[in-house]
Parts: sequence; structure tokens; C-alpha cells
Amino acid sequence: MKDIYYFTKKELLEVWRTKRLLILLIVFIIFGILSPLMAKLTPEILKSSFGSEIQLTIPEPTSIDSWVQFYKNITQMGIYILVILYSNSVSGEVSRGSLTNLVTKGLNRSAVITSKYLVIAMQGVVAVCLSFSITAAYTAYYFPDNNSPHIVIALVPLLIFILFLSALIVFGSAISSNSFAGLLFTITTIALFYLMNLFENISKFNPISLIGENVSILQGETQLNEQYWAMSISLLATIFLFSAAISVMNKKKL
Amino acid sequence: MNILTLENVSKKFGEKLILDGINLTVPEGSIYGFVGKNGAGKTTTMKMVLGLEDLTEGSIKIKGESVTFGNTKTNQWTGYLPDVPEFYGFMSAGEYLKLCGEITGIPKSELSTKVKSMLKKVGLEDSKQPIKKFSRGMKQRLGAAQALLNEPKLLICDEPTSALDPNGRREFLDLLYSLKENVTIIFSTHILNDVERICDHVGILNEGKIIADTTLTDLKKQFASSKMEVLMEAKDNVLLEDILNRLIHEGKVQTYEKANESYFVSYSGDYADLLEELYGSCKKAHIVPNLLRKIEPSLESIFLEVTR
Repeated sequence: MKDIYYFTKKELLEVWRTKRLLILLIVFIIFGILSPLMAKLTPEILKSSFGSEIQLTIPEPTSIDSWVQFYKNITQMGIYILVILYSNSVSGEVSRGSLTNLVTKGLNRSAVITSKYLVIAMQGVVAVCLSFSITAAYTAYYFPDNNSPHIVIALVPLLIFILFLSALIVFGSAISSNSFAGLLFTITTIALFYLMNLFENISKFNPISLIGENVSILQGETQLNEQYWAMSISLLATIFLFSAAISVMNKKKL
Repeated sequence: MNILTLENVSKKFGEKLILDGINLTVPEGSIYGFVGKNGAGKTTTMKMVLGLEDLTEGSIKIKGESVTFGNTKTNQWTGYLPDVPEFYGFMSAGEYLKLCGEITGIPKSELSTKVKSMLKKVGLEDSKQPIKKFSRGMKQRLGAAQALLNEPKLLICDEPTSALDPNGRREFLDLLYSLKENVTIIFSTHILNDVERICDHVGILNEGKIIADTTLTDLKKQFASSKMEVLMEAKDNVLLEDILNRLIHEGKVQTYEKANESYFVSYSGDYADLLEELYGSCKKAHIVPNLLRKIEPSLESIFLEVTR
């Protein structure tokens, strides 16, 4: 346990001093601010783009549009920024040789994986929650309607997906010899999940469905328990990937 | 008493046999020079001793406890200094040593004092900048500090001087030698001068086998042939060669060779007898040597001899 504590402290210092945490937070804060703003400004932008000669009937934006923007930004850009920033988290340390000193001092290899997972997952969750809070505040300000009654419940599947994605990043990095291979593994796996989602009988078990139904959940059209299987399988897969990463690390030559 | 024992250790990478049943013992309190050509398998051996590489065959014991691949318990007694130590560039030297101390379980109350004294010992007490701005020599000294922080019983140095300039090398060897009282040191290198300067025991690894594992003194006795150097005025060289040829004929000299201006004479008997004979012959021939001296066998010459 003490190894996890000390190595997690080192990881936190690293993400702070190498400015990776700062980059992640800034990007997610921008998403948080931009999502409701884009929803508010889109009709104006469209009107000014087409000019006054074309008569456009654009419905008045609502809080739903703001949340659509938010989930689009997070799931189409945000999660990939997390992948890019941390796909070398294990492979980088192994290839540089920076773990050698610490392992020969008695650092447990499983503590390396545990700490890396905790710090990546924590950053992902904090960044998403920060972005979510900003979007929620601006959405309430710009669109004081009752169209989005379940915003917190809708966030739950995304947070579970972040936990799963963090385990996928750590596992991909543990089995790879460089950051590019880790990145490729994670992106390819996500792409495969998207492909699998095309089959209806698989989609309810598919972790990727956790980032596809959020707007529907916040409107109350879909119930959270309809994602029970996808959430359970994602959590099980998280445990499996995490354990597999430890097993790979234990056999890794440093 | 031996602190480290390797018994019949073999290592294969795929089909390639790197180490072929090597046996090696490192006595407690020694500075053990582990010598071999580049690529001989020294680093692989060191990594196996640290549990960073698995063995194909055999066993390694430190203080009687077996070394296992992965998280080996024996690391509590070892300190490791790789050839090019890698650190976290975003940390300062003090922060890095603190992390090492925490992992090795040094009590909080002692850690700060220990880190300060270790930084002082390696001459980094004033360094506040991040490690990424360190020179090679500073990194090597920090490497030594981290390796010694937990007061190891066995310090394993893998080619620690190969990347240093002559000044850095001298300072580093002095530092290692100063530790002799408290730590057993294995010093893997291909720089034979460094071994001669500080080591008292030597192991020579060649083509996957240990071909010598003894004290430096015994090794010199065992392998080195006796040699002397003779330097004459150039005009007297012909007369000297006549004398040397006669001594070869009489069995008092084995061979001789000329390098630069000097003659290097190999012999098997007593140095004093040969000196008397040679000097007497020169006197009779009315020639006077400018230089007559016994050549102490160097580790380099032994190494070349045994690995030939």
C-alpha cells in the first residue's frame, strides 16, 4: 500500500510539473464553456452565414442543444486527448529505464500500474466533472428550461466509461514498447467497439454505448437501468484490463 | 564469507547462449571487478543478480537467499548503479532521493537528514535545479547517491565510468573506493585501468564463461608472464640483440620484441639473476643500457592473454 501512495504522489507531481494535467483541464474547461455558448450562438451563426435573403426557420435553442454539444465534445474529442496524453505512461517509463532504480529499491511493480491507473482515471473524472459543472452552470443561465431533468444521472455512464478507458490506456501502454503502439492499440479497440455497436444484439453489452445514450437519459427518454449490462461489463472489463496490465508488468524486463 | 554466489547460471536469448553455466563468488568486503569485452554478458549478469532478468538455468544467492525474477526480496540488501542512470527529469535531486528513501522504507524522521548527507557526499548539496538540467557526471553522482541511500550490503555498478570524462572518472572511482569499509562492491566494466585502480578481486567473463575468479594478486601470479624492458643507444641495438639471442639459446630468456626504441624481454626465471647476467654481458660488450626495468604485469596484458 505504501508503494502505491508514494508512487501516486510521484505521478501527481509529474502530471503537474509536465503540465499534462493543466493541458487536460484547460481543454475540458474550454469544452465546458463552449458547449452552451455554441448552442446559444448556432442560430445566430447560421442566420448570418446564409444572409437575410434566405428564409430559415431555426427553432429556438434549448438546454438539450447545450448538452448535445457537451457530450459531442467530450466523446469525440475529450476522451482522445486523455488517450494521447497518457498512451506512453507505462511504456515510456520502461523504455527510458526510469523504473529500474525504483524497482531495485523494492518498489512493487503492481504499485506502478495501480498508481498510473488511479492518476489517469482521477484526472479523467475530474476533467469531465469540471467541464460538466461549467456546462451545467452556463446551460442554466442561457436556457432556463425544464427540458433536461436528469443531467447528473446522464453523466454516470460517461464516468464509468472514463474508468474503463483509463484501464484500456494503461493496459495498452503496458503491452506496448512505445507510445505510438499504445495509442494505436487504444484507438483501434475503441474503433472496434464502435463497429460492434452496429449490431443491435451486442450494443446493449458494449462499453461504447455508455457514451451514446447520455442525452436520451438526461431527457428521461432512456432509463439508466437500460444500460445495466453495458455498465457491468465495462466495470468487469476495467478489472480485467487492470489485472492483465499488472500481470504484463510483472513479467516485463526492465 | 561470500555475499553473492552464482551457481551454474546460464542465460539464453532465444537460441543464443549468452551465459554458459557460470560460477562466481563475491567475498564480503571486496571490490570485485567484473571484466569482459563489450557484449560479453556483464549487464545481463548484473540484471539477473537484481532480479530484472530471469535465469535460463542455475541459481543466484545474495546473503544465502535466492534471487527471484520480478519482485525479489534480496533487493533489500542491494544498491544498483546502471551505466547511464535514468531519473525523473521534473524532480530535483533531493526530491528524487526522498522518493527512493520512502520506497526503501527509511523512517520519516531520518529521511531528510539522510538525503542531505548523501547529497553532500556526492557533491550535489547545492543543486536545486531539476534533474533534466544535470550533466552526465552529475547524473552519475546522483545515481551513486540513490544506490547508497539505503546503506546496501552489496553495491552493483554496471559500467559506471564508461560515460564519464577523465576527471569525472577519477572522482567517481575515489568515491567508490571510499565506500570499501562498509559495502561490498561489484564493479562491471571493460575499462581495465579502473579495475586495477580500485578492485581487489577480479572475475573475467569471456564467451559466456568465467575464465578467472580470484584476487588481483593471484591473477597476476597465475597468468602474467615475467617481462623486462631494456633501452639502449640505437647504435648498440645490434650488440644487445646478439646478447639476447645467446640468452634465448641458453634458455634464460624466452622471447624478445622491439617496440618503439625499447626491447621487451620475456623470461621465466628470477628477475635478479637475469638482470645480473644481462648487465654483465652488456659490460663485457662495452655497452651501457639507458634503462633496465622489470615490467609489472598489467590486467590488460592478462586479459589479452586469457581471452586470446
